[in-house]
Amino acid sequence: MSFLQIEKLDAFYGKALALSGVELSVEEGEIVAIVGPNGAGKSTLLDSILGLTTTNGDICLDGNSLIGTGSAAIVKCGVGYAPERCNLFPYMTVRENLLVGAFTSRENIDSNLELVFKLFPQLREREHQETSTQSGGERQMVSIGRALMTSPRLLLVDEPTIGLAPKICLEIAEVLRRLCKQFGTTIVITEQNTNFAMTLAERLYVLETGEIKASGTVDEMRNDARLTEAYFGT
Amino acid sequence: MDLRWHHFALWAAFIGGMLALPQFVSSGTLRTIIFANYLAIFAISWDILSGRTGYISFGHPFLIGIGAYTTAILTKRFDIAVEYAIPSAVLMTMVGGLILFLPALRIKGSYFALVTLAFMELIYQLVQVIRPDLTGGTRGMSGIPTLTLGARDGFYLSFSLMAAIALSMWLLMRTRLGTALSAIGMNEESVRGSGLSTTRLKLFAFLTGAFVAGLGGAFYVHYLGSIAPRALFDINFLFTILVAALIGGLSTVIGPMLGAFFLTFLLEYLRPYLPGAERYFIYGGIALLLYMYEPKGILHLFSRGLDRWRERVSS
Repeated sequence: MSFLQIEKLDAFYGKALALSGVELSVEEGEIVAIVGPNGAGKSTLLDSILGLTTTNGDICLDGNSLIGTGSAAIVKCGVGYAPERCNLFPYMTVRENLLVGAFTSRENIDSNLELVFKLFPQLREREHQETSTQSGGERQMVSIGRALMTSPRLLLVDEPTIGLAPKICLEIAEVLRRLCKQFGTTIVITEQNTNFAMTLAERLYVLETGEIKASGTVDEMRNDARLTEAYFGT
Repeated sequence: MDLRWHHFALWAAFIGGMLALPQFVSSGTLRTIIFANYLAIFAISWDILSGRTGYISFGHPFLIGIGAYTTAILTKRFDIAVEYAIPSAVLMTMVGGLILFLPALRIKGSYFALVTLAFMELIYQLVQVIRPDLTGGTRGMSGIPTLTLGARDGFYLSFSLMAAIALSMWLLMRTRLGTALSAIGMNEESVRGSGLSTTRLKLFAFLTGAFVAGLGGAFYVHYLGSIAPRALFDINFLFTILVAALIGGLSTVIGPMLGAFFLTFLLEYLRPYLPGAERYFIYGGIALLLYMYEPKGILHLFSRGLDRWRERVSS
């Protein structure tokens, strides 16, 4: 069994079906990207892993089922979630934002803070600045930083590059790569930017209208017509 | 926890200055300050419950009323000593906090506010019709034992209570718990996404808010010696509490205190000129202006002024 194993997952918002029959597996120490257009269900998939939606099917982390355990327990199991950067706490400082992420991993607060500041030196300088006054790139860093405060073994990053300058995208990609190589963190990102996804991830899943349409390694997918189809239709 | 010595020095200066106050001011002013103290307690408790979590409660008089009525009935009708009556009142208010918490599990925003408004209206109607022999019905109760005689003692008691509550809440809210409560008000989903149980955090906020409201309500009734349902479960009273917290500065402990003192003195000084309800236009206008130009409240106005002064000194 894989590190993260999702089987026959359906997810609902109320009665509306947002994901149906999703099968996905991620090995330990791997970077996997979920790509797809707006409304494909990418964020829903991450929300579901975290137990924030109503689901059928099974999600296992390291052999333990996460279904029905509640988000607090799931984060404690080692799932860190960096939502889109508009989901920060705007009127709090960078430091306070990070500390809200630190409730499940209290013993490691200092070392985790140090890690975040080492990965994103910019944040150290802006430690006491309100996040509402920061640039998009910095807020994205805070979002990832907040997730790292939970000492995750599996890091979920929702659209890390949305609306960011190419240079910042590269910076963020570099940090995620480093997390994976140096610290063995398994990473799942969602992306609309397939080029970015292909330079960062080892494997891709294509999600469209709530279903997995294709999957494979970057090389396999590069010339796959289904990828372009998902975006442009036939 | 981020504590600096100068914070404590400020607290000590504030408490020391206030305790020396009866030497300098008239008993009329002291009575005004007594009301400001109780208003500050109510505003602090409202801020913990609503200002931080974003679950705006219009039912605060509901909580204060439970505390006030419980201790009034126990002491007056059953001759129970105040030492037992007040703790029971606080406990009952926390039960009230639990009741208020139930809708917060399901609804938020304006819907939650409206439901809590209904709570206030409900208890107002209930105390009038259910067992008027106990509650005093529409006329309320008088002759409730008072704890203090004279303005000076009343001031010392109300101020000690307010200062103790404010200082302990200030310390409590400077822990990461306080940060997490404020985070709920900004983005509840993200707090859940960080692995915190928002239900438990909200429960904590509601119980703490109710604890403080009950304490304030009980002591207030033993200061007044009477209870009048029409003044207690009153929109004006509710809005005075809300506005005190809002114009003082939400998500802080000092802000609601400042707001309470500001409002009380404003209303009091306007009394000779505008004896009727016109005063509320003035305070509504001030609240509106402040909210338009400095939505973070008086406290922020101060800290901005302080920053500017520091810049000028350093340059």
